[in-house]
Amino acid sequence: MNNVVGKILIVLQLVFSLCFMCFAGAAFTFHEGWKKKADTLQSKLVNTEQQLSEQQSQRQQETANLTAELTAMKTRAEMAEARVTGIETSLNQAVGNLANAEQQRDKHLADLAVAQQEAQARIAETTDARSENLRLNGRVVEGISVRRTLEDNLLDRQGRIDEATQREQQMLAELARLRGLLRFNKIDPSDAVVGPVPAAVEKVTGVVTASKKNESRSAELVTISIGSDDNITKGMSLIIFRGAKYICEIQVTEVYPDVSVGRVIEETRNGNIERGDNVTTKL
Amino acid sequence: MSQQNSEPTIYDGLMFVSLGAVIIGIVFLVLSLNGYGWSSGS
Repeated sequence: MNNVVGKILIVLQLVFSLCFMCFAGAAFTFHEGWKKKADTLQSKLVNTEQQLSEQQSQRQQETANLTAELTAMKTRAEMAEARVTGIETSLNQAVGNLANAEQQRDKHLADLAVAQQEAQARIAETTDARSENLRLNGRVVEGISVRRTLEDNLLDRQGRIDEATQREQQMLAELARLRGLLRFNKIDPSDAVVGPVPAAVEKVTGVVTASKKNESRSAELVTISIGSDDNITKGMSLIIFRGAKYICEIQVTEVYPDVSVGRVIEETRNGNIERGDNVTTKL
Repeated sequence: MSQQNSEPTIYDGLMFVSLGAVIIGIVFLVLSLNGYGWSSGS
């Protein structure tokens, strides 16, 4: 009995020993594989950690760069916003200025239209004034010609007045001389005239036929075409004129039937005597 | 005494075989422990 139990125990011991050997071998084999796998994973882990640290450092650097860029961008964005705000303000101001400029432009256009109307009116007035000025200039020219004519007439009348004044003075002198002569001859001028009365001088006209100086060249002698046949007497005063111009007065010194010779009274001279000038006893 | 001088039986061989298996199993375990840095002295 004991042998049977011993044999069974031996067999069981053999079986368990074999099982132990098999499990130990399997554990060794699996542990080797796991160890290799763990080493590989460990090396991979190390590499991964190194890469992770490198990536983290890169990430930190990039983060810093991006943070700096972000700060710069924020700064630029703030500056841009400020500039945009300024530009908007300027734009609003420019729009306001534009509106004011448009208002002023409209006002100036209205003023320009009014000024153009006024200019048209002024042009019309100027045209009228020019035509009126031309008309007045014509009248001025006419007035000037009339004035010159009147001045000529005035000079003529003045000459005639001067001539009349000289004649008056001569007559007064002659009258004084005659009065003196009458007083010398004891004749009262208020007494009645006794004897033939000289005939009144009639108006006789003729022309100058010649004019020359005398021998002593102290006086100018004039030959006229009227004589005793025309009641011309010695000592008579005759007037020489040309048209409406008074020239001088002559005193007859020699009388012939149809010709007379007179001496120019220099005090009355008012121009040169030419052949063909008119001569008359009175104007 | 006659039994003590008897010839080894199959069971004796099985006993040695089991001893060998136990030794081989221990060697495997020691090698496995060496893989984890195990030392017998400490």
